[in-house]
Amino acid sequence: MKRLHRQEARLPIAINDRILKLRSLIPPGRDSAGSTLHHYYNTVSKGGGIFRGDMELLAHDILIIGGGLAGLRAAIEAKKSGRDVAILSKVHPLRSHSVAAQGGINAALGNAPTPTKDTWENHAFDTIKGSDYLADQDAVEIMCREAMERVIEMEHWGTLFSRTEDGKIAQRPFGGAGFPRACYAADRTGHNLLHTLYEQVIGLQIPVYEEWYALSLVVGDGRCAGVLGLDFFEGRIILIRAKAVVLATGGYGRIYLRSTNAVINTGSGCFLAYQAGVPLEDMEFVQFHPTSLFGTNILITEGARGEGGYLINANGERFMERYAPHLMELGPRDIVARGTQTEIDQGRGFEGGYVHLDLRHLGREKIMDRLPGIRQIATDFAGVDPISQPIPIQPAQHYSMGGIPTNADGETPLPGVFAAGECACVSVHGANRLGGNSLLETLVFGERAGRKAAEQAGKEKKIPDKTIFQERLRVFQAGLEEIFGRKGEEPSFLIRDEIKTLMTSQAGIFRGESALLGARDKIQELKKRFLKTGLKQKSLAFNSEFIQYWELEGMLHLAEAIVEGALARKESRGSHFRVDYPTRDDKHWLCHTLAFKTAEGVKLDYKKVSITSYPPKERSY
Amino acid sequence: MKSNLLTLKINRFNEEKDPPQWIETFQVEIRRGMNVLEALLSIQDEQDGTLAFRYSCRGAVCGSCAMRVNGKDVLACRTHVEDLLEKTALIEPLRLFPVIRDLIVDMSTFFNHYRKIEPYLKGKPVSSQVEYLMEEENRKEIDVYVNCILCGICFGTCPAFEKNSEFLGPAMLAKAYRFFVDPRDRRNEEILEAVNRQQGVWGCKTVFNCVKVCPKQVPPTHAIAKMRGKILRYKVAHLFSQFSSLFPSSS
Repeated sequence: MKRLHRQEARLPIAINDRILKLRSLIPPGRDSAGSTLHHYYNTVSKGGGIFRGDMELLAHDILIIGGGLAGLRAAIEAKKSGRDVAILSKVHPLRSHSVAAQGGINAALGNAPTPTKDTWENHAFDTIKGSDYLADQDAVEIMCREAMERVIEMEHWGTLFSRTEDGKIAQRPFGGAGFPRACYAADRTGHNLLHTLYEQVIGLQIPVYEEWYALSLVVGDGRCAGVLGLDFFEGRIILIRAKAVVLATGGYGRIYLRSTNAVINTGSGCFLAYQAGVPLEDMEFVQFHPTSLFGTNILITEGARGEGGYLINANGERFMERYAPHLMELGPRDIVARGTQTEIDQGRGFEGGYVHLDLRHLGREKIMDRLPGIRQIATDFAGVDPISQPIPIQPAQHYSMGGIPTNADGETPLPGVFAAGECACVSVHGANRLGGNSLLETLVFGERAGRKAAEQAGKEKKIPDKTIFQERLRVFQAGLEEIFGRKGEEPSFLIRDEIKTLMTSQAGIFRGESALLGARDKIQELKKRFLKTGLKQKSLAFNSEFIQYWELEGMLHLAEAIVEGALARKESRGSHFRVDYPTRDDKHWLCHTLAFKTAEGVKLDYKKVSITSYPPKERSY
Repeated sequence: MKSNLLTLKINRFNEEKDPPQWIETFQVEIRRGMNVLEALLSIQDEQDGTLAFRYSCRGAVCGSCAMRVNGKDVLACRTHVEDLLEKTALIEPLRLFPVIRDLIVDMSTFFNHYRKIEPYLKGKPVSSQVEYLMEEENRKEIDVYVNCILCGICFGTCPAFEKNSEFLGPAMLAKAYRFFVDPRDRRNEEILEAVNRQQGVWGCKTVFNCVKVCPKQVPPTHAIAKMRGKILRYKVAHLFSQFSSLFPSSS
């Protein structure tokens, strides 16, 4: 594997220049021409092979891929700009993983009684320190400044936030935050926000292609012209032309065996971009949440510790004293997760590998009022009532800091493609995200990406030629016929299970060179085996085996990018902890990783971190 | 002694087959703490990739995996297989919705009814800089209804919806009530008018099936009863004001 020299790549360039620089790496495509773009359903040319019908082409000004918070927020903003917007989602929007977010959304409203009033600058500082100084500070400042407006707007749209005694939005303490800053709706904040945004989408009558998949981007003339979609129930391949495509497909947590993520979080949107030549940024930074329910790994919110919960090992000790003596259980997630895993690894956990999250001292009333969802989850999925018993917890993959590189307006290196939410890397989380910032990111950058996409779509007069779509379809058909034609020595789910186990054991909370080298070899083996897997069903309707196969290809490539990034990064920063390089090394590694997909494998490059007013300091809690 | 093999009889459906509907038996080796969704996923992986069902969060918050297990409407992900080992368990799609494939039902009627109640806050005018002030007590009253995950289970057990698919249904009437009691919404009478029909609150047979089956403890029948009471009070107040206008006060 050849990689660019790191020093060469780390040039002092502003975000917009950076985007331009990356754009030049996208290979030029075909010429384009065409007719006026309006919403139409058209048949263009005969399909062949297993495709019975003609090529079907839909068109929208803006197509949003993904119906979670970022996607819906982008759709709302684009629609309000007067554009023709549609959302495509592999699940009904209300089934998106955003619904599972629990603890809160950060905004320096200063509603909680504190000696000094919280400010957005405090929020920015906490975020940057939490990121272990890898976040782009200009982007963080934008997020923290716009947080108040986005949260108040959600309240006005109907989100049912919990309240302070004087009727304002209630805020709770969260890990790594100097103020009680996480606005919450009991412990169902994501559910409340997602339902509110979906309600707005209904009010604005934005069409949703529900239970459709985006199988690839259609790229020509150096820009994205639309997507190749699959209507899963009908088994039809439908091309959708769009002046702007917004990827809001969430994270890639399910590459890991132990993950708090929904089963659907396979990182498919990141792979769409990666496949189309867009590099992926900071993929080695994968967040592990300290408290997932032992057994199922369902999330137990940081809000449980924010409300005063204790982490207790098998010796009955509040072990966080050893790792974050000041903030204790409310240290940032990377530190609490490593502390928890260390207790388990060093034999101070309970049999099976877990510790206790003890909420009993909070009392019945507080638990019922502030953490009712946690009580229900613990009862339903572990048979434990937190009012009378401690909750068994262990760390699990939780969040993908890395993703598709964007500027603060959601623009990616590929013209016509925007990204927002967990699939994007702005980067506001750097090496470690603070709790309460992911919901915020979806709203702030969803709004900004939607606005910018609408603006760009308004300017875009050139209509891509139909041949670009025909060519994309032809290539897809040829690929599909090859896949369907295979004998199939091995089902793909075995490879999926192996990659997940591999990533949890060898590219998890603690990483070392030999484990990562082993992971590299294993991924190459799995990629070879993947090409020999076969499918029993030879059609596309309801073919979950095909979807599994298709998403697995992406998972293998994303896993490769994570492992290569982690191998190269010889330091420990935030969530990326190298046992063989246990300290941060700003001299060599204060930079973002960019992973490019090439025929020879992953090629790494690096780019500068944007630093405004917070010079890197030692990080202690 | 309980075996570690779970036997599931699954009600299959594929309109392209003849007959389109059949029952198929699968055996799954269970692990400790396994739930029905995990059992279905393992069948899909290891035995029959054509088995169709919806899923997403696997933590009982997204509402995807509503189905019928041994005649009870449940979320598959929060239904433990340990409870099903005594005898063969029957897995069926939700009742009262058209089946699309196997355990996947067509929820378009459900979401059409959702649209009918205009389920979005129509707020009173307020400064864009600050939140509306709301009492915690108010919030708690609404919260019970906001917790609805729109899984469709209540529709599948509702005799009023069974009799008339135009009936707005438990989840939607609960949703209407959620906006009715929200002090931020300006539509009080408008909402009552929208549900003041046989297809609205008056269609409910008050058998409380929806309250019993709701996986999120949302009580739609209570919302319906409260809106009925409000409607009657409005009518009485309206009659009274008409009546009193005939006899202007002498004072």
